Amino acid sequence: MKRTILHCDLNCFFASVEMLYNPELRKVPMAVAGDPKFRHGIILAKNVPAKRKGVKTAETINEALQKCPELIIRRPDYPSYQYFSDRVRSLYEEYTDKVEPFGIDECWLDITESIRYFGSAEKIVKDLLYRVRNEIGLTLSIGQSFNKVYAKLGSDLAAENCGKKISSLAEIRDLPADRLLGVGYSTYERLKSYNIFTIGDLAEKPLDFLHGILGKNGETLYCYANGMDLSEVEDTSSSSIPKSISNSMTPSRDLYDMDDVRLVLTILSDSVAARLVEQGMYFSCVHLYVRNSRLQIRSMQTSLRENSDLAGDIFQCAVRLFEENCDFSMPYRSLGVAVSRLSFAKQISQTDLFGNEIYSLKRKKEEKALEEIRRRFGYKAAMTLRILEDQELSGMGPDDDCFFPDENFRR
Amino acid sequence: MIRKYVDVICLNDKGGNTRPLCLIWDEVRKIPITSIKEICPRSSLKAGGSGMRYTCVFSSRLVRHLFYDRGKWYVEMHDHVI
Ligand SMILES: [Mg+2]
Repeated sequence: MKRTILHCDLNCFFASVEMLYNPELRKVPMAVAGDPKFRHGIILAKNVPAKRKGVKTAETINEALQKCPELIIRRPDYPSYQYFSDRVRSLYEEYTDKVEPFGIDECWLDITESIRYFGSAEKIVKDLLYRVRNEIGLTLSIGQSFNKVYAKLGSDLAAENCGKKISSLAEIRDLPADRLLGVGYSTYERLKSYNIFTIGDLAEKPLDFLHGILGKNGETLYCYANGMDLSEVEDTSSSSIPKSISNSMTPSRDLYDMDDVRLVLTILSDSVAARLVEQGMYFSCVHLYVRNSRLQIRSMQTSLRENSDLAGDIFQCAVRLFEENCDFSMPYRSLGVAVSRLSFAKQISQTDLFGNEIYSLKRKKEEKALEEIRRRFGYKAAMTLRILEDQELSGMGPDDDCFFPDENFRR
Repeated sequence: MIRKYVDVICLNDKGGNTRPLCLIWDEVRKIPITSIKEICPRSSLKAGGSGMRYTCVFSSRLVRHLFYDRGKWYVEMHDHVI
């Protein structure tokens, strides 16, 4: 059965929330940017007048001010953005229980089943645009299609406060291939060297050819371009069981070497493991997200032979992924760690020749003791030496208050 | 237009609903709310902000919007009135 999927994207979200509370900012160039003191001095979002002046997301405040000296800069108010993100999402949930967030300001909605209750997909799109604007005061772009990838492309093409439907490849074949989800800067460069410029070019190439030049990612992109993305809109409503647990961190300074990276990964692994234990779950897949000082993002993952709930295992996998895939040609601004393929049951381990099981039992005891100490006396009661050594970088212990989910981490 | 944040006396009923009863405008003026015509989520286009909008009828028969936004109440006002 053909699905109907919407991709809803809040227009210049951070800037819109600021303008919602300060309507006078609508007419002047304005941007939301991190604090230059803490080296987060980059533009996170800008309004339309600032965009007209050439201000771009991810450039530094200084670069932006050169183009637009009168630019008004606001500090980000993350609790407020999360509040509005949640409100918009509960509005979506009035239309379908299949709502999958993608970052803080985007969601996919599978409305296949909802159409018979609401009349038509077009009616739902119109309703959403009207209600989000009227009831919440923000505007959306909505893409509509039969798969998630085309729906996302639709919302990219749609104007502010509008919907855009994509029914077939023919409508998008002349667009540059990097408009497609999954085609980042380096992949696009690669594709161009094989004379693949548009989505149409990509769709026409044989599967084997794309596999040859891009590996598994080539297969994925072949499916994406041809509208064969079958991935489900994951139902991530609060009542359902988590599919993954993640945490990310943007420390107060950039990361320049492996010591820095290890420190941040220690904190992240600890906090992810703590939440895992809270849920009583085990993972068998570890993901690492890295973002450099130019906001370029990479993600990588690895699997474990046997599931685990240990912080040490998360840490080791994350470090290995980093060492195998990343270099320090540019400093890193943020790191994120996620675990997935979660289950409530520990796999029965086969005792192997090297006695890893005894080792892991020992480590497990160690971690449990540490956890108990932290539960009773707080995170700071027991910390690794690395965290104590660099207080500036580590900031505080893992705590939902100081680790705001980073909107820029995108799968 | 601006948002004027105000103190409000409310009734929290058994069903978990909150109803504003009286608006404390300043040291002297306390304005009772006679009835509430409508409660809906709305953004305030004129003064900015977004929350639950209560359309209140005051004892003077005046109808005004009272907004509730994350724990705070405000009304929309012309700048020059203050
Ligand atoms: Mg957006």
